[in-house]
Amino acid sequence: MSAGSMFGLILYRHALRLYPAFHRERFGEEMIAVFRELQAESATKGLFPRSWWCIREIAGVLAGALQEHWHAAGGDSVWLWFPTRRLTMHNEFRFPKTTAILMTIILAGVVMTIQRGEAIQQSLPYTNPPVAPIHPAHSTLLPGIVFGLVFFYAAGLVGWAILFAMRRSGVA
Amino acid sequence: MEFLPLTEPVLLILLSLAQQPRHGYSILKDVEHMSDGRVMLSTGTLYGALRRLLDEEWIEPFKEQESSRGRQAYRLTARGRRNLQFEVGRMKHLTRLANLRIAAKEA
Repeated sequence: MSAGSMFGLILYRHALRLYPAFHRERFGEEMIAVFRELQAESATKGLFPRSWWCIREIAGVLAGALQEHWHAAGGDSVWLWFPTRRLTMHNEFRFPKTTAILMTIILAGVVMTIQRGEAIQQSLPYTNPPVAPIHPAHSTLLPGIVFGLVFFYAAGLVGWAILFAMRRSGVA
Repeated sequence: MEFLPLTEPVLLILLSLAQQPRHGYSILKDVEHMSDGRVMLSTGTLYGALRRLLDEEWIEPFKEQESSRGRQAYRLTARGRRNLQFEVGRMKHLTRLANLRIAAKEA
């Protein structure tokens, strides 16, 4: 195998990492085997057909990886909200049950908060006593914003580290 | 039948498997041959389509007696063949209708 072919194969193997783990486990070996056969075949062709084949393969892998991630995220089920062919549920529907439960809890929380707010509003007198102007001893706004940003940045970083570790280990 | 009407690459993949069980490379070459080089699938496109067809049980893995590592063959299921026949019937009807309309216009 020439250096160019070896480089192409390494590049292809790396590109396959863009696919979700389940797809790589299911089809990864096969895709590499087919790629190697196509590569051997294209080696006999000229520079232009070889380059065109290479571009097509890379574009195909990128598009395929995007499509599989969309599928893994339950993307196919989006079409159920805008049915164009029929109004039946099919086995591609993968809306997570936990999300439905979480959304119900959040909705209940919002409704309860609104009701609680209305109850507090009704219990208060309509006229507020006059309050003299308050002069803050020091600004609390800026440190609060900075603290908030640092907190969310750290939380995001931890979340990303967990996802990265899961992906590396093949869990996600 | 969620896939219907079929896209040209999927139709060609199914037609390729209708004849005999094939593995990935063989499907790619047969699709290229059937379309006179007009449809040249990449491995990404092929395995995306195969995954969907496997999920919908239109095709199934086929155990070959002599299969090397990484060479999995696939074949059409009864469901896949039925759906393919349905699609070909639909296309025949469309072609017949188109021929009639074009002939009527010319006459």
